[in-house]
Amino acid sequence: MLKNYFKIAFRGLLKNKSFTLINILGLALGVTAFLLIVFYVVDELSYDRYNIKASRIYRVNEDLKLGDNKVQYAVCMAPLAQTLKSDYPEVENVVRFKRTSSHFKKGTETFLEYDVLFADASVFDVFTLPLIYGDAHHALAKPNTVVLTKTAAKKYFGRTNVVGESLLADNNVSLLITGVMNDMPATSHFKANFLVSMSSYPNSYSDEWLRSDYNTYVLFHDKSGSKKLEAQFSQLLKKYSGLQMQSELKMSYDAFEKGGSYFKLNLIPLTDIHLHSNMTGELGVNGTVQYVYFFSIIAIFILVVACLNFINLSTARSANRSREVGVRKVLGSARKQLVFQFLSESVLIVFIATLIALAAAALLLPVFNQLSGKSLAVTVGTLQWLVPAVLISIMVVGLLSGAYPAFFLSSFRPVDVLKGKLSGGFQSSKLRNALVTFQFFISVFLITGTLVVFKQLQYVQNRDLGYNRNQVLIIHNAFELGNQAKVLKQELRAMPGVVNATLTAFLPVASARNTAIFYKEAVADPKQSLFPQVWSVDEDYVSTLGMKIIAGRNFSNRMSMDSSGVILNQTAVKFLGLINPINKTIYRSSGGVNPTFKPYRILGVVKDFNFNSLRENISPVIMQLSENSGSLSIRINTANLPALLTNIQQKWKSLSSAQFEYAFMDAEFDKLYRTEQQVGKIFLTFTILAITIACLGLFGLAAYAAEQRTKEIGIRKVLGAEVSVIVALLSKDFIKLVVIAIVLATPLAWWAMHQWLQEFAYRINISWWVYALSGCTAIFIASITVSFQSVKAAMANPIKSLRSE
Amino acid sequence: MLSLKQISKYYQNGGSKVYVLNRIDLDVDKGEFISIMGPSGSGKSTLLNIIGMLDEPNEGYHYFVGEPVHQLKEKQRSALYKQNIGFVFQAYHLIDELTVYENIETPLIYQNVKGSERKALVADVLDRFNIVGKKDLFPSQLSGGQQQLVGIARALIAKPKLLLADEPTGNLNSKQGEEIMDLFRKLNQEDGVTIIQVTHSEKNAQYGSRIIELLDGAIASSTNV
Repeated sequence: MLKNYFKIAFRGLLKNKSFTLINILGLALGVTAFLLIVFYVVDELSYDRYNIKASRIYRVNEDLKLGDNKVQYAVCMAPLAQTLKSDYPEVENVVRFKRTSSHFKKGTETFLEYDVLFADASVFDVFTLPLIYGDAHHALAKPNTVVLTKTAAKKYFGRTNVVGESLLADNNVSLLITGVMNDMPATSHFKANFLVSMSSYPNSYSDEWLRSDYNTYVLFHDKSGSKKLEAQFSQLLKKYSGLQMQSELKMSYDAFEKGGSYFKLNLIPLTDIHLHSNMTGELGVNGTVQYVYFFSIIAIFILVVACLNFINLSTARSANRSREVGVRKVLGSARKQLVFQFLSESVLIVFIATLIALAAAALLLPVFNQLSGKSLAVTVGTLQWLVPAVLISIMVVGLLSGAYPAFFLSSFRPVDVLKGKLSGGFQSSKLRNALVTFQFFISVFLITGTLVVFKQLQYVQNRDLGYNRNQVLIIHNAFELGNQAKVLKQELRAMPGVVNATLTAFLPVASARNTAIFYKEAVADPKQSLFPQVWSVDEDYVSTLGMKIIAGRNFSNRMSMDSSGVILNQTAVKFLGLINPINKTIYRSSGGVNPTFKPYRILGVVKDFNFNSLRENISPVIMQLSENSGSLSIRINTANLPALLTNIQQKWKSLSSAQFEYAFMDAEFDKLYRTEQQVGKIFLTFTILAITIACLGLFGLAAYAAEQRTKEIGIRKVLGAEVSVIVALLSKDFIKLVVIAIVLATPLAWWAMHQWLQEFAYRINISWWVYALSGCTAIFIASITVSFQSVKAAMANPIKSLRSE
Repeated sequence: MLSLKQISKYYQNGGSKVYVLNRIDLDVDKGEFISIMGPSGSGKSTLLNIIGMLDEPNEGYHYFVGEPVHQLKEKQRSALYKQNIGFVFQAYHLIDELTVYENIETPLIYQNVKGSERKALVADVLDRFNIVGKKDLFPSQLSGGQQQLVGIARALIAKPKLLLADEPTGNLNSKQGEEIMDLFRKLNQEDGVTIIQVTHSEKNAQYGSRIIELLDGAIASSTNV
């Protein structure tokens, strides 16, 4: 019997080629988009799950509140790890990481590597990082040992088995290679190409309980251990940090807490870090769970739109199928059997569409990777969940979208349909109208979303940031020159086409950051404290980057006292509550046991500038005049950039053998918004897809509507109706639905995009024309789709349609 | 074999009932060949549909092979119908997507007849109706007469006791019509199939053993031929 059903389904599909094409194509498009997004979402959700012990691994975070300053750290104190391991039986193991960057030598060449971590020897016990060569138990036990990845080994040695070789790092320290590991999975919240033994880092032995520097991961014997430990954190802090506080701040922990300040430790499951953690001191840039929700919703939307198409077109086609239903009933088919027949038919269509979609998704994966910035690939592991998932989805989608047509069609009474009474069934379907409305509801929502995302990005990129990021060239490895860096700076300043230059690693785009504690008076009073970023800059900094001094003056190299002067940004002034800040003195704490306080005189106030992404508000910054040759930023003004670059490179080569690495500040700035740009592009792509699918459905429906009304159109034309009148007549019904969809979608779109914009500290207001534009777009697209069919029907010779009746 | 008692069918039109069939009494014996005649709107087709269980009367009692049809549940009625009744239409109503062979086979599928048995039965019928050469063609490739032949073959495949035909020759020319009527007579006389046909044609009505005249939903006359 099933054979009979499939046979008739196949022949039916072949007979109605355009219907089949629209139906299968629409569905395939939808499923393709759905699959791609599922890949993305699964990838986002799979972070760190490659670790066999993932469910038992937690990271220790620290919440710190000092006066009005509240910070969440992804790092905690150096001695905590050892204490946890030795004093708390529920803890099986601990590992600390400390992020760093280092130069490594390969022959005469030097490379700067960013993915370098100091790691405790226990790293291989806690995390699943299998070694290809070397012994995981002892690999990082001794100082100055390193485990590197296969890729890194190939880069420096041209082969992978390099255990026993050594790698020359900064300050001519030689690191012994004790292991080679597989490249870390892309789905890890941190990346490391080099794991250097923690014992190589002197500070790692520190006993400081008031300073947090180490990303600390705890492996529990079983999951319940985390709750148990978390309950004991406050006691632990009181015991250790409290003791040091007494000696350093001359303050008991209780008094400290009474002042409204606190230290708190908490645990976050390893598998939550990627999507739920965005703290200070993260090991890498994490994702946002919001986007996972966003994309999941879009994926479901698109699939729903595609399924609705299917339902609509199938029921619209019911007129052609009704006779078959009648005949089958007369021949003895029970309703159940007919329902089964139509369901198996829709499962078949979904199956074909899914096969096409799978092929399309596989083909489009590289494009999608480019779009999303991911490196997704179909592997054996993917297939393990993909194949059953796809089979289940085929059944579910097939049954769901087949259900309505099946019950609708099988309900026909044979007496009616065989008499030709139920030729229509088209105009009457309220459900179909509702479905079309819903499809356009989704489309309008997505169009609005896309417009808002792009507007916001445009706003971010055009906003006055408080500095001028255009035409600034950054040489990131100026430190290679050592003392020569200053020479280069002076020589470049004299070069035509160069306006100014400043030597520092502290830049408003992602670069070096350093924090310190300042007090209004020379006492460690948390209420008078400030946790600013402290940037070492030179006297050309403000002018090179185009910042504005709004009070006082800039640093000057003619004033010898300026090294004990500082420039504050407006936010720092506000946080300190200073009315006339110029020439006031603030105090920097040395930290540690028995801190000393160094006075700094405020020389000037710089206008607030954005140095984080615009998601965040500006935080306090204090600039001080001190030497830092981390990188060299050059403001240029030239029409002939290549020539200037060549000149600069020549100068560089005359001073150093290291590679000349440069970047442009505006490009670096754009990197801060890569996620948003990707989201924007993905949004756009899938919006177009959703609209295409919705229009495919509309196209099919319009065709059927026109077909159903051929006779009516014929009569009207004979009576003298113009083509335009008939087109309007046919289009009106559909456009009405689109208008209803717009009315319904607009408030929801407003709400959703409003929520999204809250993520940004600096954001646009969504103006009315965004809604107007998305509404008009929807109407425009729908009109074109529908009128294509309407015009065709209206132009047809009425003699033909009337004769056939 | 068939007994209708006081069967009425009406539509509610505003406040009043419009009767399509009004208290029909009809008994049909096994082996009869009945022609139902009457002007348009006299209720011929409705009567046929009620006999064929495609339609339900509003009032009355309906017995078929001893079963009270008016009391049966949908499932039982369907089973009774499947085993005993074959239908032939004026517009043939073959399934366009199926071949001649498959069209004829379909009722057997719904009666859960095994594949091998189906093959034998269909081959037998094809042979008897002389359409073996057409078995892989689709309905659209056949003439009207041939399509009706397939329609009859399909109606007879499950060996029904009662064959219902709603103007079986209405779409055919006179020669094709004659052939079909000859076939009906043969089926009735040689195979003992009970036949009830609705027809407009006086000539075709003469093929039967009894002619029933309907007028305004009531039986005006019943004449044995």
